[in-house]
This record gives sequence, structure tokens and C-alpha cells, in this order.
Amino acid sequence: MNRKKIYGIVVYAILIIFSLVSLFPFYMMFVMGTYKSEELFRGMPLLLDNYFLENLKTTLAGGFVRNYLNSIFVSVVSVIASLFTSITIGYGLAKFDFKGKKAIIAIVIIGLMLPTQISVIGYVMEMRTAHLTNTLWSVICVWIANPFSAFFMMQFLQDSIPKDMLECARIDGCSEPRILWAVVVPCIKPAVMTVATLVFLWSWNNYMLPLITLNRQTVYTLPLMISNIAVAYRQDYGAQMLALALSTFPVLIIFCCGSKYFVEGITAGSVKG
Amino acid sequence: MKRNKWPYLFCAPFLLAYALFMVFPMCYSFFLSLYDYNGIVEKHFVGLTNYVTILTKDRLFWKALGNTVLIMGMSLPVNLLLGLIIAYLLFRLAKGRRLFQVVNFLPYITTPVAIGFIFSYIFDWHSGIFNSILVHLGILNENYYWLQHPWSSRIIVALMIVWRNLGYCVTIYLSGMTAISKEVYEAASIDGASKWRTLWSIVVPLLKNTLIFLFITSMIGGFQMFDEPVQLYSGWSAAARNIGGPDYSVLTMIWKFYDDSFGSNTRLGYGAAIAYILFVIIGACSLISFLVSSKKEKDA
Repeated sequence: MNRKKIYGIVVYAILIIFSLVSLFPFYMMFVMGTYKSEELFRGMPLLLDNYFLENLKTTLAGGFVRNYLNSIFVSVVSVIASLFTSITIGYGLAKFDFKGKKAIIAIVIIGLMLPTQISVIGYVMEMRTAHLTNTLWSVICVWIANPFSAFFMMQFLQDSIPKDMLECARIDGCSEPRILWAVVVPCIKPAVMTVATLVFLWSWNNYMLPLITLNRQTVYTLPLMISNIAVAYRQDYGAQMLALALSTFPVLIIFCCGSKYFVEGITAGSVKG
Repeated sequence: MKRNKWPYLFCAPFLLAYALFMVFPMCYSFFLSLYDYNGIVEKHFVGLTNYVTILTKDRLFWKALGNTVLIMGMSLPVNLLLGLIIAYLLFRLAKGRRLFQVVNFLPYITTPVAIGFIFSYIFDWHSGIFNSILVHLGILNENYYWLQHPWSSRIIVALMIVWRNLGYCVTIYLSGMTAISKEVYEAASIDGASKWRTLWSIVVPLLKNTLIFLFITSMIGGFQMFDEPVQLYSGWSAAARNIGGPDYSVLTMIWKFYDDSFGSNTRLGYGAAIAYILFVIIGACSLISFLVSSKKEKDA
């Protein structure tokens, strides 16, 4: 009995240590963001300090708000666009039989396996020709057709919507778009949440593409802003930390609200192999 | 059955966008990879020269491939093994499983750029926490240039990858363990198998598919490593901004690709060829690991 107790304590201790390691950078960002720069080097800061508002002022002065709004715009539009294309194609593939269906499914599955890098150069040239570089559209367009979202929606729709329900709606004289919007979409809220959280995260964290297509500070997204942080706030480390904390904040919130859907999306396909 | 236009209409938006923003750029990239082109001067056809140059003359390409594999070789086994153990501890936990899972998953969702920044701060020579702790404890006599030596830089990058992906591995393992029927665990405990014995002899073999999935996805992710190493060398100490770290020791494939096509050079055709070679490498590695794993299944 005693041995069991010790074992239990050891297990908890190990898990707590790992959790602390996971949390450490967050602690650094959120706690150190409330310190005055000079204080940071006096030793390890533990508690919140009172310099938060001063740091906030410095942070906000550097065009940060603009970049923040850019990021929100990019992620929100990407999520909406990706939801629209994935729900429609998912519905089309899961609930209809038609010529060419197998080929389209194959395209989606192959798309899952292609690394995006092979299209980057062509994509950037395309954006240059369309005069879309240095606009936020250049980092949104890649998310419009996301093979993962399409595949996930297709799988989900296959399992969750009974054909009888659709037949009933059809007999009642509903048009197809109306069926999709009024009957199907309310039934697939979990899948919508999953795709929305994942696409939000991916587009929010995207770094390489904006690095290539966005060269003006006014159109920067947050990852670009962060990578220039050392330039933007010079030696003001407190302000830098606060900027990092603020930029991680939205994904933290979204993750905490939707962690269930998140995990569902991440683990999709792993069990089946 | 009457001809129905609706499924085609429903598939159209995705397919259109996909053709426009993925298929066309992909083909155009390939087209460019056969040309010498820098985006300004007229392009001219060089056939497979770009590919040949990369594979036979570009020593930095091989170095980048080596670095990528080395860093992966350090981070991937740690992630797979440590993830398994932690997932199992969590799985056996009576209370608080969900909380621990969420906390350990947080690094995975953090912006990689921010992680690179934080790590460059932790390991900074002058103001880094890591040095001051080591010196304080008397382990080091003086500050060590962690980010200026090839091997310590590689280890730090590997550490970042481990830190970021551990939660992902744990989550995938956990979902696999939950999918195994309860009776299996009960039978094992009735037969008197200890917890760890159950893990190695029963759970791991049943998790084989999960393991393969994790291995392949981590490998694909590993080949695409870019954000973290780049940020490690442009974040905290912007003065030390350089390509690939000390002696190009953390120059990854994608970093090389980026640098040749949009960074220090604008050799777009050359960059496109690197991307295609990378694609072939990733494809071949995935295929090999898939074949090896399914062959074993047949033998068993």
C-alpha cells in the first residue's frame, strides 16, 4: 500500500515537472511583460510587477495594434473561406453519387500529402503578377482550399448525416443550398469547430509566406512583427515580452475554449492509421 | 437517376481555389525549376542543370540535409519515447488527466516564432537565464556561448522541437490508448501483468499504427523545420542575424530553400528545384517507412 502511494506521488511529480517546463515560456512572457527592463536582470522575477501599463504603452506605440488587426483579419477570413469550400465539397462528396467523384476524392487525398513548399515559388510569382504582394490577400489565399479541412468534413458528413433526413427535406421541396445551410450545417457543428480552430491556428502562426510576400510594416502579421521585435523595441525587453504574450493570447483563448475539437482534429486519422 | 448538377456545383469552389492556389503554382514551380531565373532578368531554359548542380556541386545543400537529419535524429526518438511514457502515465491517472493534457499541449499551439524568440533569450550568452543558473550553481565558471557553437546550437534546436511537439505526441498516443478496448487492460491486470509490463508487451504492439503515424508525421514536420531555427538567430540578439547559425550548423533544408530563393539570393528556378528535391526526399522516406512497417506486419 505504501509503495503504491509513493509511486503515485512520483507519477504526479514527474507530470508536474513536465507541465512546468511546458508552462515556463508562458510564464516568461506573461510575468516578465510586467517588469521594467532593467529589473529583469536583477534575478529571476517571480511575481507580477507593476510596470505592465508602461510596457503596454511602449508596445502599442510600435504599430502593434495595426499588425494585430491584420492577423485577426487574416485568420478570420481564412477560417470563413476554408469553412465554405470544405463544407460544400464535403457535402458534395459524402452525400451524392456522380461521375468523377472518385477522382475528386483522390485529388483531395493527394493534396493532404503534398508539402506546401513545392508550390511556394509559383504562388509568389502568381501573387506578384496579380499585384497582391504586400496585401493581406496574399497570405489568405493559401487557406481557401485546404485539403485537410475538405477531407475532415467529408469524413464527418459521411458518418453523421443520415440520407433519410436529406430525402425528407428534398420531398418537402427544399432546394439543395437550403438543405445544406438549414439541415446539414446545424448537424455538423463539432466538425465546423474543429476546422475553424485548426485553420485559425495555422494561419495565425504562419511565418514563411508572410515573410516572403509582405515587406511593409503596415501589412505585417504578428509572427513578422515578433521577428522584428528586437528592432522595434530596441533594448526594452519588458515591452518585447509583453508583445510576445499579447500575440500568443488569442490562440490560447481559442484553444482553451475549443480544446476538445482541437484534439479531435489533430487525432483524426491517427487511429485508423 | 437523373443528372444532377448540384454535386458538381458543391465541389466547384474548393476545386477552383485548389487549382488556382495550389495546382497551378505547383506546376509553375516545376516549370521554373528547369530555368535559370531570378525574377528580373529574362529566364532561359537550362533543363535539369539546377537539379544536377544542387545534387553534385552545392555542398551547402548536403550540409542542410545533414543538419535536418541530425536534428531530427535527436528530437524524434526523444519525442516518440518520452511521449509514450507520459501518455501512459496520464492514461493510468485517476485524476487530472485532462488538465495535464491541456497544459502539455500548450507549446504545440504557441506561435513557433515566439518560441524561437524565447529560446534565444534563455540561451543568450550575456543575459540568458540558462547561463546565469549554471554559473550560479557553480556548474560553469563563465558564460558559455550556447548559440555560437555548432553542436550546442543543434541541440538547442532539437530541444525546441521536443518541447513543442511532445504534447502533440502525448495527445495522439492517448487517443490511441483510449481506442484499445478496456477488456485488454483488464485481462492484463487479471493475469498479474505489472503496469509497465502491460505497456511494453500489450499496449505498444497494439499502438503500432499510431506509432507509424507519429513517426511519419513527425518526420514530415521535421523536414519542414524553418521557423524555430530562423528565429533563434534573429530574435533576441538581432545583431547576430546570420544565415544558418554558426558554421551553417542549423541551416535546415527549408531555410536553405528560403535563403536561395528569397533571402540572400533570388534564384527562383534554383529554389524551385530544391523544393522539388525536398518533396522527393519526403515522399521516399514516408514510402519507405510505410513499406517497412507493413512488411513487418506480413511477417508476423
